Amino acid sequence: MNNTHLTFLFFGFVFLFLYFVPFMPRGKQIALVYLRYLVLASIAALILAPFFWLICSAFKDPEVLMAYTFLPPVAEWSSQTINFSNLKKLFEKEETLEGAIYFWRYIVNSFFLASTSTVVTLFFSSLGGYALAKYEFRGRSFLILFMLGTMMIPAMLLLSPLYHLIHKINWMDTYWALIVPGACSAFGMFLFRQAFFSVPSTLVEAARIDGCGEFGIYLNIVMPLVRPITAAFCLISFLGSWNAFIAPDVFIQTQSKLTLTVALNQYVDVYDQQYGVFLAGTLLAIIPPAILFFSLEKEFVSGLTSGAIKG
Amino acid sequence: MPKFPYGKVPFWILLIAISTGIFNLVATLSKRGEKPDLVFVSFARSHMEAYEEATEEFQKEHGVKVQLQLVSDRTVKSRLQNAFLTNANVPDVVEILADTMGTFTKGPIEDVGFVDLTDRLHAEGLYDRFVESRYSRLSRLGRIFALPHDVHPLMLCYRSDLVEELGIDVNTLQTWDDFVEMGRRITNDLDGDGNPDRYALDLPANGDMLTPLLLQRREPLFTKNGQLKIDNDTVVDTIIWYIHQSRGKDRIAFSAGWGQTLAKTVTDGLVLFYFCPDWRTKYFETDTPHLSGKMKLMPLPAWEIGGSHVSTWGGTGLAITKASKNQELAWKFAKVLYLKAEDLGKRFKASYIIPPVKDAWDLPEFKEPVPFYTNQPIGALYAEMAKDVPSNYASPYYELARNKLNEVFINAALYYDKNGDDGLKEYIKRELARVSAYVENRAQHNIFYRQQIANR
Amino acid sequence: MEKWKERLNKRTAPWLFLSPYLVLTLVFFIYPFIYAIILAFYQTNGPKSWNFVGLENFAFVLADGDFHIAVWNTTIFALSSILVQLPLSLGMALLLNSKKDRLKGVFRLILFSPYLVGQIFVGIIFSVIFMPRYGMFNRFLQEVIGWGLEKRWLENPNLVMPALIITAMWMYVGFNMIYFLAALQNVDQNLEEAALIDGANPWQLFWAVTFPAIKPVVLFVVVMSTIGSYQLFELPYALLQNAAGVAGYGPKDSGLTIVGYLYRTAFESGDLGTGAAIGWLLAIIIFTISFIQMKIGRGLETE
Repeated sequence: MNNTHLTFLFFGFVFLFLYFVPFMPRGKQIALVYLRYLVLASIAALILAPFFWLICSAFKDPEVLMAYTFLPPVAEWSSQTINFSNLKKLFEKEETLEGAIYFWRYIVNSFFLASTSTVVTLFFSSLGGYALAKYEFRGRSFLILFMLGTMMIPAMLLLSPLYHLIHKINWMDTYWALIVPGACSAFGMFLFRQAFFSVPSTLVEAARIDGCGEFGIYLNIVMPLVRPITAAFCLISFLGSWNAFIAPDVFIQTQSKLTLTVALNQYVDVYDQQYGVFLAGTLLAIIPPAILFFSLEKEFVSGLTSGAIKG
Repeated sequence: MPKFPYGKVPFWILLIAISTGIFNLVATLSKRGEKPDLVFVSFARSHMEAYEEATEEFQKEHGVKVQLQLVSDRTVKSRLQNAFLTNANVPDVVEILADTMGTFTKGPIEDVGFVDLTDRLHAEGLYDRFVESRYSRLSRLGRIFALPHDVHPLMLCYRSDLVEELGIDVNTLQTWDDFVEMGRRITNDLDGDGNPDRYALDLPANGDMLTPLLLQRREPLFTKNGQLKIDNDTVVDTIIWYIHQSRGKDRIAFSAGWGQTLAKTVTDGLVLFYFCPDWRTKYFETDTPHLSGKMKLMPLPAWEIGGSHVSTWGGTGLAITKASKNQELAWKFAKVLYLKAEDLGKRFKASYIIPPVKDAWDLPEFKEPVPFYTNQPIGALYAEMAKDVPSNYASPYYELARNKLNEVFINAALYYDKNGDDGLKEYIKRELARVSAYVENRAQHNIFYRQQIANR
Repeated sequence: MEKWKERLNKRTAPWLFLSPYLVLTLVFFIYPFIYAIILAFYQTNGPKSWNFVGLENFAFVLADGDFHIAVWNTTIFALSSILVQLPLSLGMALLLNSKKDRLKGVFRLILFSPYLVGQIFVGIIFSVIFMPRYGMFNRFLQEVIGWGLEKRWLENPNLVMPALIITAMWMYVGFNMIYFLAALQNVDQNLEEAALIDGANPWQLFWAVTFPAIKPVVLFVVVMSTIGSYQLFELPYALLQNAAGVAGYGPKDSGLTIVGYLYRTAFESGDLGTGAAIGWLLAIIIFTISFIQMKIGRGLETE
């Protein structure tokens, strides 16, 4: 019987107390509400535990990384056990023959790739989705079926031929190779198609009568109406690019052009796994998507789910 | 400021895109990198760091630009395969794990994507400078396709302070039988919780140490001709030995893991002896500075009296690709990296890896005592074993065979847990025959293999 | 400028708007696609030696024991996603579902956050968490249940798949929960109240009123989950990569997924033709299963 068991027992007793003791007018109801919060809190704690572990590990000296799950007991806190050595190592100057590279470079690269592909993909996908939603044309159903089909082809199948193609057009080791091939996703087009369904056609017609060009309608009338979807899609696309590993790994070859994911993975190689540094880097890598998400959570959620609800 | 009509999110992302884009543009323009004359790819960070100085000098001396790329080992394989298929952007010089050489020499010799180095080595008198047994894994049909990077002799590293406390004299541990006897004596449960708290040896739970142990017994997985040869008595015997030491109540081994878990296990005194090829010495030293002066190295116990104490684990080779446009330059570069004596001494001090270049072993750096290992001259110790390192042979199915061997081991261990020694030998024999047939079947699927057999 | 506007009329606009998609797809999808189809019928060894082998690659893969293991593993994983993960997500969504609850936003945030971490990172993090003796997971188990300190999650062939499933659950439970939460918002309040007045208990309430209302979303999530599960690659790749020696797919291939098998055959064994054949078989599998699921789903909907 240790501390954890005692804690569990305590919580259990509270519940039983609330549920069975009859002197409270709505005892049973309160007990159930209490239970609900208890379950939710436990699950939240389980989900947060690895994050907490990550934060602790980033600041533990590699010597004590394995010794304690989270942090050493306060008695052992010293600059030996808790320090910034991992972070320092991460940001150390990395001398390559092309000059020094600092970790910041990878962060900028990741930002650049993720944001640029998001902007490009946003434009193309929304344009395509608009076409699918608001126009009648021959071959539309075929196109939709085709798009559905492409989503089921495993990407790994196309890796080798894609490599061959990228090499042929001389895009190897450039960011074009990472941004362009995925620049218009079927998923994005479907999402925007769903969104545009909710824009009344009368609005579009009215704008047309007013003399607004087709592209103008898209740009000025319709797009501003689907902000939640735009936000949701931006986040998904940004996350996808930010966390991508296989593509940058295969196509990018110069060290200074690497993204965060690939650069951090270099700390965990065949002979030498520097977990402390890796974990510190991961912590940093999670912060931008987290900021993006937390500041825009509502829009993101409503946008993401609107596609599913109507589809 | 007018409100961005599409929402806050795209606005901020657009802003980030533009600002980082400008930064990147400026950064690339300011560097104005011309295409490098040579591209060198490796997968081990320690190797890369060791090569930087030599590469800089090479650049200055020859007035060329060399680019070093660090890639994870799996990515090296996939990049090379893709590149060979399409004759694409292949690195000029690449380090590969010796285990994988077989996959690149699968087809006809003329089609191998690496340059055949055999004639150059002989013509320039370099052939004899390397330990001969290291060529075999990097060759096919007698043609050498990569320069050996290392010898990687294997020793046992142990907690000398604890071992001496227990009154063990390692000089008496001449055979594995001696070792096991000692192990059984000292593997004890010290705090009464039913689990031993001190083990003699580290043996990975998935059977990874089988290959080096088999090599010690002069049983490489494949023969010189690339035939799988694992269903024989030595293999069965070694598997049974491995199982006995790692499972059951007479066990003396614990699976201590890798890297930081190994460091913790040895620090806690949970495991006293572990297998230490030269490449592990430096990593361990970096991971456990507090154990300085408490570690020592000893040669592997032999399998029978008078048997060999030498084995090897791992290996890397340096290959030049045929698609390279600067093959001569690449060859010069390879020679500088691997054969320049002064550098080899410095590199040894940085990584404790001894090169396969025999004349380098006389350099003073190798004979220096190393304080972490109680002032043992570990360079000299490893170099002594290096000449006798056993040969290993390549095959496109090397990794598959190792995988299947591990599978046999795991199945055998599970069988042992259930039935003990009863029928264990026959079971293992059956399993080995089964996986041998499997690998052969896989080889048959390879059209080039069939052509090769037809042409013999 | 006027000419532009004239040209860009109702008829041509859709095609113009779709042109980026069409061009990109043609170049970066169709071309590699055809290349891959052709590649599957050959065995290669460099650009000059392409040998036509007909259907042999396909025949080999279908008969290969490793392929069967991969299909088995991937299917188990997909089933666990549908039968374990989704009910969990749904359960949490039900728990969390209430009209006015400030904490709802907070919990939603917390439960969704694992999705922000990339698969590669999650894999490596959990490979350390699952370490025997010193990893967080085993220590936690030991504290709470008093068992499991030495369990070798990633080295025991029977425990690799559970470890993978646990990791995937951590990552995706919150993500799916968001979908369900939104769906639950749309459940007709009146119907719910009517059922309650009629004396239904929570269980009956769920099956009679709630579930039918969220069926389309459930179908959507199930299909998406399945497609994603069958394409699983990066998570086991990262989770099982750090044990040196024979690494990457778990002991006895217990962590081998179909895409993992493809990667191994194409890039580690150097047989790109057979790799392409595996890709094709996988595509066919995904098509078939999705098709069946959608048929069943539509069928259930019309009831």
